[in-house]
Amino acid sequence: MQCREFREIADSYLNNELIVETNHGVISHLEQCAECRQELKARRELRGKLRGAFLQSPGNQLPAEFADRLRAQLHDYALGKHGVPPLVSLLGWRSYVRPMPIIWIALAACLLLIIGAGLVLVRQRVVQPKGDEIAVNKQRPTDSLNPAIPVSIVKTELARSAVGDHRDCAVKFRLAEKPIDLEAAGQKYDPVYVNLTKAVLSQRGTGPLDAQFIEAHSCVYQGRRFAHIVLKYRGHLVSFLVTDIEPTKRLQSESDPQVITCSEFDGYKISCFETARHAVFVVSDLTEGDNLALARALAPSVFAHIIRSENNA
Amino acid sequence: MFGSALNPGSLADGAVRWATFESEAMPHVASLFRVALWLTRDTAEAEDLLQETLMEALRSFHRFAQGTNCRAWLVSILYHMQGKRRRTAARLQLVSDAEERIAETTAFEPPTPQNVTDEEVLEALERLPRAFQEVVILADIEEMSYKEIASALEVPVGTVMSRISRGRKLLRAELASYANAHGFGRSTPHQISQKEPLRKP
Repeated sequence: MQCREFREIADSYLNNELIVETNHGVISHLEQCAECRQELKARRELRGKLRGAFLQSPGNQLPAEFADRLRAQLHDYALGKHGVPPLVSLLGWRSYVRPMPIIWIALAACLLLIIGAGLVLVRQRVVQPKGDEIAVNKQRPTDSLNPAIPVSIVKTELARSAVGDHRDCAVKFRLAEKPIDLEAAGQKYDPVYVNLTKAVLSQRGTGPLDAQFIEAHSCVYQGRRFAHIVLKYRGHLVSFLVTDIEPTKRLQSESDPQVITCSEFDGYKISCFETARHAVFVVSDLTEGDNLALARALAPSVFAHIIRSENNA
Repeated sequence: MFGSALNPGSLADGAVRWATFESEAMPHVASLFRVALWLTRDTAEAEDLLQETLMEALRSFHRFAQGTNCRAWLVSILYHMQGKRRRTAARLQLVSDAEERIAETTAFEPPTPQNVTDEEVLEALERLPRAFQEVVILADIEEMSYKEIASALEVPVGTVMSRISRGRKLLRAELASYANAHGFGRSTPHQISQKEPLRKP
């Protein structure tokens, strides 16, 4: 279990709502991770404080006089001494549980509309894959690395920064600086960030495997700003990172991104490609082949988006 | 067990009914009042809602399966009574608004701040969208299970889990931003990791 997974279920753990196996996973993770133990302790204390503050708030106390009067009314009502107490409006309750026919007609009409809309959506899905799923081309060979491709951005500090950002932002949530909205960062720092998420999510391919979109933002790792799109693929967190680089004269064709892989850092696999002014990294703890395949599936539309944006700049 | 309406055959039946109702339902009146107060945001309305709820519970008490969670059953009736109000467009708008706020906040999981006061916690709770306040109150304050909340709100358990998770995350984010603005709360994660090196899981 990773810190991210733990933090997603930590509250359910506190509520004792997890199944036994997951509980064991949590306990095992806590034994090894001091930071998550601290986080769990803080959440437990916060819940206690919230409950205590709410229950003790003077405004939330049942007025004693009202409680006595209510008890007396209910007692008399139970014993058949009174009919309906003066404050009670049972008509409202009955009208709620027995809706008038016109409500049923309206509900039926809504149901028909929903079914119709659903059919349209299903039809559209048959024609093209869902927007928030990323299709990965399984048929591409994952081991077809081209040694002729210039390895200008791999094995560099840039790749290390990408791995560091993946680890500290996507996995462990321990960046010192709060990430900001990606589109807002696009307006402020780099126009390439604008609509980058759409470019990633619009990727299509054959033989689709689903990669789940988690979140998109812009974050800073050791002074370097990234556009950071977090995905989940085959149960692993994957970071799609874009950062600017010194302008270079690219050797490869601008219509064909050359996605390459490189040595792993800290146990994370990195695939990357570059444009004239940006480097793009896909970082995960997937196998090297899966990581590269995912990067290659994402590359074409992202590459086109970045090139378009760079040309407009 | 007691008949379907409050037109009992004898005073003895009524006395037994009341005795059972008093032992099962009445201990939860204060809790119900808090939920009613939160729903209505008005003491007089909360009192009316609570009274209606308990009257209906008393009339329907034959349907309550003894040995099950009476408070959850009562909360369920309370929400039924408030049902029409719950289904207004205004409420749906609040949920929609919340989703937008979530999109802004879920990008970063702030560490849970410490050393916050009761007032700050309540203010942060107050700032949450209602749909998320609701589940946080029922789960964390009234200590209802996810299943009981789902039954009371008439939504799937998965929806409850999702709302609780997001609600708590928003609450932590509210407190973290407040703590940062006022320069207190837990030290940053980087500082912690310097003091207490993280053992890699």
